[in-house]
Amino acid sequence: MTEYCVEARDLTKYFEAFKAVDHVSLLVPAGSIYGVLGPNGAGKTTSLRMTLGIIDPDAGTSRLLGGFKPQSVRHRIGYLPEERGLYPGMKAREAIAFMGALRGLDWAEGRRRAGDFMAELGLERVIDEKIRKMSKGMAQMVQLIGSIVHAPDLIVLDEPFSGLDPVNQERLEMLVRRERERGATILFSTHVMAHAERLCDRIAIIARSARRFEGTVDEARALLPMQVRYTPRDAAGDVAAMLPPGAERRGADWHFAIEGDAVEPLLARITASGHGVAGLSISRPGLHDAFVHIVRQVDAGFEADAQADAIEESAA
Amino acid sequence: MTPFLRNIFVVARRDFLAIVATPTFLLFLLAPLFMIGMGALGGFGASQLADSARGAGRIVAIAGPADVEPLRAADARLRDALPGDKPPALELRVAARDVDPVAVAQEKGADTYAVMSGPLAAPRIVEREEGSRSGAYLALLATDVLRDRAAGAVAPAAPRFENLKKGGTSIAAQQGLGLGAVFVIFLLTLLLAGQSVGMLAEEKGNKVIEILAAAVPLESVFLGKLLGLLGVAILFIAFWTAMAVGGGLIAMTQLDPGALANAGAASANAQATSAAFGVTPATGWPFFILIMLAYFIMSFLLLGAIFLGVGAQAGTVREIQMLSLPITILQVAMFSLCSGAANAPGSSVATIAQIIPFSSPMAMAARAATDDAKAVHLLALGWQAIWVALVVTLSVRLFRSGVLSGRSSWKFWERGAKAVAAGDQ
Repeated sequence: MTEYCVEARDLTKYFEAFKAVDHVSLLVPAGSIYGVLGPNGAGKTTSLRMTLGIIDPDAGTSRLLGGFKPQSVRHRIGYLPEERGLYPGMKAREAIAFMGALRGLDWAEGRRRAGDFMAELGLERVIDEKIRKMSKGMAQMVQLIGSIVHAPDLIVLDEPFSGLDPVNQERLEMLVRRERERGATILFSTHVMAHAERLCDRIAIIARSARRFEGTVDEARALLPMQVRYTPRDAAGDVAAMLPPGAERRGADWHFAIEGDAVEPLLARITASGHGVAGLSISRPGLHDAFVHIVRQVDAGFEADAQADAIEESAA
Repeated sequence: MTPFLRNIFVVARRDFLAIVATPTFLLFLLAPLFMIGMGALGGFGASQLADSARGAGRIVAIAGPADVEPLRAADARLRDALPGDKPPALELRVAARDVDPVAVAQEKGADTYAVMSGPLAAPRIVEREEGSRSGAYLALLATDVLRDRAAGAVAPAAPRFENLKKGGTSIAAQQGLGLGAVFVIFLLTLLLAGQSVGMLAEEKGNKVIEILAAAVPLESVFLGKLLGLLGVAILFIAFWTAMAVGGGLIAMTQLDPGALANAGAASANAQATSAAFGVTPATGWPFFILIMLAYFIMSFLLLGAIFLGVGAQAGTVREIQMLSLPITILQVAMFSLCSGAANAPGSSVATIAQIIPFSSPMAMAARAATDDAKAVHLLALGWQAIWVALVVTLSVRLFRSGVLSGRSSWKFWERGAKAVAAGDQ
């Protein structure tokens, strides 16, 4: 039986009449890196806030770290909110120690660990700089260190990569992997698929307030057919007849999509046809494509519903 | 230490250092100079009010039935004849077996400068200040009555003067002290409680509040902020107390007490001068200072909690100002009420001010200046503590409901009511 570090079930939240989160469940296995993906305004941040007990859900429950209420295990959690916040007048070392102290870490130990983290990330030169003098990216790294300085068992990062340059993004990815190796569970939200693709063991895709997909990155990619580009050596004759319906010719190439189990029969047909193979590429779609596909499907469903409602209203 | 308390101290430490370790704190420390200026103005106005309400005080003659009318007639003659300031109004009482002139001199609600009792030939005169004009005037009255009766040469009265050692009815000075206590508590409370809202606005602006809310219970954040500012207040008070004590010690070593006394005696207002140097609150200085500190803490907690709770509903500095205004007006109203109470000890206004929770700390501090009863302060502190608990509880819930909300701040009362009704976690 899987041990879940996060068990958020059927979380629902209304803001006035607007349903911001609709029965979202997040089950994050212990020791995993879990991504919550979704377009802007999908409900990711609200879901994370409810999961952590920062705001109360209108319905649903959240249990963390083996079934505890979020409030009772605050000291075992590290959290980087979407809206970054640090006291501008504080020095980086103090800011990190302060965030650690909030989670029960001794101040002196917090300062020591701050030095270690900053050195590891190549930021030791700004450790005694005031936050207001730092670049946005550096301040963000300081806040990130502050949220993990107490060695939490669960790390929740809301859009951690936004605002970081590629170098700092790389540093952050390294930090996330290292924290997982330490034994922490990481839950983060993003709308940048490349990070999720590289880091996540499992993902949930939230769109229009509800969870639309949950599984591994491969499972998400498998939602779309494979893309094939075929170039026959001998184009004479009816090539299209042996290809799946919808195959499109572009110059000498044929482009079409096939399901995963159709690859071998296709190869057999090509070989038997005598057209030969001058070029062949079969590629699996990326997470980006899967994400766009899922979100578009949801949007299309909403638009269809809206049109149906409009027709119904005009008929009435 | 429990995690809850530890969290409170972490937040308090941060807030305390954020205020104290800045150059602007020096400006804050110097605020009393401004306060003293304002206090002098306020004190002058209050003293005018007090004088007009109280008149010029009184002198009392306790005499046998046969002496009452002659004394009244002598007073009428001499009062007009005396040059300069007129003596305080004469109050005549018929001597009774158990009348104690010291007790009469200490009666509350009147400023009694001297009390004469006993036979007119050798009266006992209890004075508030040694060698006072009031005592001398009473002796003059006795001599005048004796002279009038003898219709010829007569030996002047031989009064036995006594100085009232303790608890003299220096009501004017004590009321001034009470008013000063009210003023200091009011100004400090307003200054510091207002800062708490400013800090909260800064945190909402910096988005730090979400980090705090995620890491510790909001109750800890709330109480930590109050505690941090209380620490600032205590540092502030300690600094100025040390300055005052140091200044006093330096003055004592520099000034010649004899010269000071002579200067006082030479003054036409000798009574007032010595009163100013010798004023003592009715409860004594140590108790008065301690109880004032306790009342300041209560006042600060009450007002700070309201400011934080309501301030958390605001999203912008403008909204904070608008929401803070009614609280400031309320506090100014409480100050006015307490000023009235300080000028009229024992009146119904004073009683009302002592009961209303938001004016109670200031009014009770004023009472400690004029009334020597001490047990009543325990009762008052208990009463105020109940209100502090109520206000803090309610404000924490408002704080929770408002601090992370991105919705329209103008519906804070709905959210607050909902949070309270739901027994928000």
